[in-house]
Amino acid sequence: MQAEDASLRRLERDIHDGPQQRLVRLQMDLASIERAVDRDPDAARRMLGEARQQARETLDELRALSRGFAPPILQDRGLAVALESLGARSTVPVVLEIGIPADGAPPVVPASIERNVYFVAAELLTNAVKHAEARGIRLRASLRDTGATGWWLDLWVTDDGRGGATSVPGHGLAGLEERVRGLDGILVVDSPVGGPTSIGAHIPFVPVA
Amino acid sequence: MTDPTHAPLRIVLAEDSVLLREGLVRLFDEAGFETIAAHGDADALLAALDRDAPDVAVLDVRMPPTFRDEGVRAAIEIRRRRPDIGVLLLSQYVEGTYANELLSSGDGGMGYLLKDRVASLDELRDAVERVSQGGTVLDPQVVRELLGRRGDPLARLTPREREVMALMAEGRTNAGIAKALFIGVGAVEKNVTSIFQKLALEDSGTDHRRVLAVLAWLQR
Repeated sequence: MQAEDASLRRLERDIHDGPQQRLVRLQMDLASIERAVDRDPDAARRMLGEARQQARETLDELRALSRGFAPPILQDRGLAVALESLGARSTVPVVLEIGIPADGAPPVVPASIERNVYFVAAELLTNAVKHAEARGIRLRASLRDTGATGWWLDLWVTDDGRGGATSVPGHGLAGLEERVRGLDGILVVDSPVGGPTSIGAHIPFVPVA
Repeated sequence: MTDPTHAPLRIVLAEDSVLLREGLVRLFDEAGFETIAAHGDADALLAALDRDAPDVAVLDVRMPPTFRDEGVRAAIEIRRRRPDIGVLLLSQYVEGTYANELLSSGDGGMGYLLKDRVASLDELRDAVERVSQGGTVLDPQVVRELLGRRGDPLARLTPREREVMALMAEGRTNAGIAKALFIGVGAVEKNVTSIFQKLALEDSGTDHRRVLAVLAWLQR
């Protein structure tokens, strides 16, 4: 919950510093154009071009912000398709084994868990490509009914990179560990030097009725 | 209709935002197209499709009732049901997953663009006309995504060939590629031949079939 609060604050700041400022500037520029249109049509035309550029950049920023907060494909199609899309976008080939029902079939994972799992998977894939220099990645995700301890979502990302991934405070893996722990889950890292690396995130959830 | 080549293109539109719907209708008018119907959701457009018999259907992606991917589903249905009608999807964001579904759902005219691109009258007119002629129009952002996932084989291409490849994947003709890169059509043709050789693709000749060959390769 605390992580959620912090990310909401960051989002507010990002909107304030980015698109909001750009729109204020755009409004100022449009007012200048209005004043210049009779007096200096050439200048007005040039400023119009700049204003359009300003509007385009505002849109780009808003899109980047909302994607970082709520990826459209996840909203539209749910976790299974969003994970497939993540794998397809990776620059290193990803073998996918997704055992999560698509199209809203039960058990339905709550939206907040879906979003967190998506970002954990995205970061694990990025780590495998960037830090481990992997040439091949396997992403597995499935749901498990343990009976007494309820439903769990299991996510594994394994890669054939150089291994040696450790959780150092302030670094990526530590942040992931915190995120998963915030959901009462556990992150299991198995990454001997020389590889391969296997990281599992296991998160409990209550299916949406 | 004495001279069909001069009849304005007939458009139907589905866009739930009144603001954008009115803006698009005005742009279509400026571009010299005739808007037959402007709907607020995909179901209304589909229900009237046979009666309206447009040249091109232009759709938003997120629309009522669930505001998810209604436009994508409707576009796929139109492509199956009426391959003679060109489909142009306009969206606030583009997804490679949707591009793949659209491309594999038929081979009539299809376009998938960010809404930002059609703020320019020329780009909107160009996209609608290409789609009405059975062409493919893909947003540069989708193409970047498609190219990004095929890193290794593309490394064999020269930087110029990669530029040509990207523009081909956007659905541009040789003449369009030449114009975008400020080079001659002959130079484009030479690059295209070399790309097809390096990727072991068969050059099928016409601009449109070539685009499909490149896109099929990128999705493989």
